[in-house]
Amino acid sequence: SGELYCSLPNPRNVRFESINMKNVLHWSAPEGTDDGVLYKVKYAVYGVGKWIRKPECRNINRTWCDLSTETSDYEEQYYASVKAFLNGTCSDWMETTRFNPLTDTKIDPPMVSVSSTDRSISIILTAPEKWKSNPEEESISLLQVYPGLQYNVSVLNKKTKKRWLFSISNNTLVVPWLEPGTAYCVSAQIHVTTPVLDSGFSKEHCITTLKDK
Amino acid sequence: KTFHFGSCRVSMSLAEIRAGFTAIKANIQSRDPVRTLSILSHPHSLHKVKSSDRCCMTHQLFTFYVDKVFKHCRTEDSFVNRKISSIANSFLSARRKLGQCREQNNCVCGEESTEKFKQILANYEGLNVTSAAMKSLGELDILLDWMEKSR
Repeated sequence: SGELYCSLPNPRNVRFESINMKNVLHWSAPEGTDDGVLYKVKYAVYGVGKWIRKPECRNINRTWCDLSTETSDYEEQYYASVKAFLNGTCSDWMETTRFNPLTDTKIDPPMVSVSSTDRSISIILTAPEKWKSNPEEESISLLQVYPGLQYNVSVLNKKTKKRWLFSISNNTLVVPWLEPGTAYCVSAQIHVTTPVLDSGFSKEHCITTLKDK
Repeated sequence: KTFHFGSCRVSMSLAEIRAGFTAIKANIQSRDPVRTLSILSHPHSLHKVKSSDRCCMTHQLFTFYVDKVFKHCRTEDSFVNRKISSIANSFLSARRKLGQCREQNNCVCGEESTEKFKQILANYEGLNVTSAAMKSLGELDILLDWMEKSR
């Protein structure tokens, strides 16, 4: 393709960073280069014969490129590659390892909502949605993507510091036999059994049970 | 975990196989420089296999991995070799269970899945044995991802 002789050092650490399948290509600038380096990006579906250029990431000076739309089919796997340009010379194409959106994404904690009576707490959990570039698109919960998705729920009695841990598959939990007029703090985590994926724990949601009637 | 392949129910621990593969995935895939060819996913995707054909396809794929893949995947790395043999043993036991389903005639091979499996073999034979075996091993997560949809 009539490319120049490429003597520029290569972009480094070219990799996908993915959260809820928002798949963004990241890299570090070539060693020893300051400002002025421009980049172009291409990607390929594994098993399909051609590299595809990403026009929105052509001649860019930032060191990331959002490829979420191009890699949204999580039944496929992908490669991406970056080339650097500076002062009329260029680097080699530097590739990622094979990217599998299903196993190589990170998952956000679930949303937690809590209500209480005098002696119980009700907890409703909502799994994050698969990232969508276009808000008009249909929402897909990660629950649909990962059939083995479960929730780990932690409930802490603020007074006694006693903590319970629950592991549930459905998204609601009622914790009975609690003390009236007592503060409890709830946080939850997503746990996918295969492939093994764990979110962090959500921030704590504290609530006080009603006083005795 | 119990998996439903058509009318066949098989319990197996995919998590163990998955953990073994994850530990060697980068190593194995880095030995496969061919981006433009896939053994399992192109031109036919496993995800398009009809549920009634799942049992037969899974049994054929397990046989494919036992007979044509694991034995050709020796490396110079003893850690990787140990993981490969542990995965191979898990495949052997799973295939035995699937074989029992076949004997009970719960494992019918439809025309479509027979065609897809022929294509997989053609993809495999398009490379030399070691490259084809290493590529197939590097695609184990494609097989596991598909199987996990059968929970």
